[in-house]
Amino acid sequence: MSTPTQGNVPLLEARAIDKVYPDGTVALEGVDFTVLTGEVHGLLGENGAGKTTLTKILSGLLAQTSGQVFWRGQAANFKTPLDALRQGIGMVHQHFALVNPFTALENIALGQEGGNGLSSVDHGKIEQRLRRVMVEGGLDAPLDVPVELLPVGVQQRIEILKLLYRDVKLLILDEPTAVLTPQEADDLFVALRKFKDTGKTIVFITHKLREVLELTDKITVLRRGKQEGSVVTSSVDSKQLATLMVGHEVIPGVERSQTQVGKVVLSVKDLEVKNDLNDMAVRKLSFEVRQGEIFGIAGVEGNGQTELGEAISGLRAWEGGRVQLDGRPEEQLDPQSIYAQGLAHIPEDRRRVGMVLEFSVMENSILGLQSSPRFRGAFGRLDWNKVRKNAAELIEQFDVKAQGLNTVVSSLSGGNQQKLVVGRELGKNPKFILAAQPTRGLDIGATQYIRDLLMALRGEGIAILLISAELDEIFQLADRVGVIYEGQFMGVYPTEALNRERIGLLMGGMESEVGQTV
Amino acid sequence: MSASMSAPKTRRLGNVLGLLRPLFDVLTAIVVGLAVGALLMWWFGYDPWKAYAALFRGAFGDKWGRADTLFAAAPLVLTGLTFAIGVRAGLFNIGAQGQMLMGALAAVAVGILPLPPVVHQTVTLGAAMLAGALWGLPAAYLKATRGVHEVISTIMLNWVARWLALYLAVRLLSDPNRAEKTVSVLASTRFSVVIPGSDLTHVVWISVLFALFIYWVLWHTPAGYGLRCTGLNQDASRYAGINPGKSVNLAFILGGMAAGLAGASQIVGRPPLYGMYTDLSTLANLGFDGIAVALLGRNHPIGAIFGALFFGALNTGTHMMQYQALVPLEMVRVVQGVIVLAVAVPELSKIFRVWSLFKGHQTVKK
Repeated sequence: MSTPTQGNVPLLEARAIDKVYPDGTVALEGVDFTVLTGEVHGLLGENGAGKTTLTKILSGLLAQTSGQVFWRGQAANFKTPLDALRQGIGMVHQHFALVNPFTALENIALGQEGGNGLSSVDHGKIEQRLRRVMVEGGLDAPLDVPVELLPVGVQQRIEILKLLYRDVKLLILDEPTAVLTPQEADDLFVALRKFKDTGKTIVFITHKLREVLELTDKITVLRRGKQEGSVVTSSVDSKQLATLMVGHEVIPGVERSQTQVGKVVLSVKDLEVKNDLNDMAVRKLSFEVRQGEIFGIAGVEGNGQTELGEAISGLRAWEGGRVQLDGRPEEQLDPQSIYAQGLAHIPEDRRRVGMVLEFSVMENSILGLQSSPRFRGAFGRLDWNKVRKNAAELIEQFDVKAQGLNTVVSSLSGGNQQKLVVGRELGKNPKFILAAQPTRGLDIGATQYIRDLLMALRGEGIAILLISAELDEIFQLADRVGVIYEGQFMGVYPTEALNRERIGLLMGGMESEVGQTV
Repeated sequence: MSASMSAPKTRRLGNVLGLLRPLFDVLTAIVVGLAVGALLMWWFGYDPWKAYAALFRGAFGDKWGRADTLFAAAPLVLTGLTFAIGVRAGLFNIGAQGQMLMGALAAVAVGILPLPPVVHQTVTLGAAMLAGALWGLPAAYLKATRGVHEVISTIMLNWVARWLALYLAVRLLSDPNRAEKTVSVLASTRFSVVIPGSDLTHVVWISVLFALFIYWVLWHTPAGYGLRCTGLNQDASRYAGINPGKSVNLAFILGGMAAGLAGASQIVGRPPLYGMYTDLSTLANLGFDGIAVALLGRNHPIGAIFGALFFGALNTGTHMMQYQALVPLEMVRVVQGVIVLAVAVPELSKIFRVWSLFKGHQTVKK
């Protein structure tokens, strides 16, 4: 072992951690995780692997269902993040916990006032100490500007300073580079190495292979809530890590008919889309989807897929390039006009976007179709008899299990909710289907049902764009695959040209040695 | 999926309970309010049983009491609708008071024009609805363009309306012979009395009809579907191609129309005055009481009718409570306040929950 240790006792040890969420989702299963003093420890895994859940347990934000956490050899039961912080464990979350109109100094002083809550705060003293921490940590930030006016990279620095000021021993960073520009990420790495030299221990969560290889001493890989291995960084290469991350099960075969690929239905050219933080999330992306073809976009979530889907479906304006559906005008249109051009959209967040949870099955069956002449009666009213008849057919055809048409959809299982959404969207008689994470969170039966359905629609000559973080799904369904990383394609390949290891490398941002083919 | 033999039966029972639950919540709130009110009265040395008996007798004891209850309820249905429509669109429109005053002013102004009977009534009510809707639009516009929260803008507009109404009532519309009131509207636009000897006029039907109309718009038109969709989930609304801004405008317009009608009902349906006092005393608080009415009616147009009946009865029975149980008016108001609070707490907390979901503040998962 080349990792530095102090004594034999690990700084932090988690043994056999299970976490089951109240809705029954198993997030972690028997996970062991050991961090030694002074190391930079990478926690690697895909979306939903359980990285964030594990670190939230370690930092006192969540309670494990079973298992035990040890801090410096002692059993630790952190009830709140404050408990963990007092012991020296601090976490920087993906969404910062800063009071926006407050300055950096005020944010850092928050909770450090002491006294009875009414005595005056000695900001001078706090600033003095903070300046010292800043010099030691090599982190600079303006202290007298409201944090909302600062760039994200600086806000993150303030979050880290907040923890350094509280003298944490163990610093947990959840996907810290996800919000940073490459330059900011480089600066962060320099700072993290400096912390290590001053004796801090760091847990670094990421899905980017290059980052863990560059920065860490040890790497623990999680996959689907299980620990897949804990390795010394110098002893592994990116291929081994990719395999650990995405697994090596045999991909189940799927009935795949030879279809005649027809004319281009969706054409995306040099598309540029910004995210909510005003950063470019999709960078000059180009591809085409043809009749009778499933084009898959694979990648770890947060690499521009959401913004791409929203731009195609009219929910987000694009900055440059164009999206053209069925050869029609390429101007930016509202969702209703795009539906009229033949779009069916299965959104990635069905509970927030694809349906109104408080509405009944019947009401949800016309979401997006509320103005359609199909459901109109006299005086332009909504004819609920027509809606009811259509909804009853939909439920029958797509095997939606609901107590009745007036049942509130929030009481339906995820699979039945999704079948309702899919059935409704197919009722729009689409030429093109945008299916974003169509089987996320569904049980095996519902998953297979949706996948078979998409395959059948492909056979009918419909063009399908499948955005999925689920590799099995991509391999099962897609004819061609574009692997997206930081808003760009790492390459577009026929599915046969890819295997798990290679796609894992591409998803982690490593260039494939084979040149790209289309 | 496991389906046991008894599943359908339990499900049906669950459905029935699901439907009864809102009613149960409302009744609980009323009982709690009355109980706390009783405790307060007992504490200050009044007989709560006697007081409530008098209240009930006053509101429902004879046909005049019942007529007075309906008379008091009529405008409250409408101002209740204003708030309820807002909530359905995700708004906290508390501007009914100002919109109602504008409607009343418009009714007086148009009510003195020489027009034939049925036409005159139609035009008067139409003008009041227009005035109410127009008074809501600045709030909608400020929200859409400048992001001004409707609570702030509608409160401010209420004050502007109040002082404008006082000014116009005194300076422009006042009765040359009786300075304390405005001119009365002409007979051609007055609604006739239902029960001789009471104040109840046929204007009460306008309230019921408008509540039914609002129910129809919200649940039986695409625009109403869009409005309710906007109120529950803006992301899903945009996905469905619904313009949230249009829904907000529609909610302000419909709400303003309802409030304007409420104002008019107090002019064309208030014998023997058929006008208003220049101190606005006949219109005081009608808009604000509508909030409580809507909350009690769970922001449903038909619920507003029942909510208005309850508060109408409370207002009417008050007199008897004073005469027979000797409970002073101030104590009656305290009891009313407690009931409103008990009714409002669960419903308000629900509204705030929906709000916080909008803003994307998800509650921390445990």
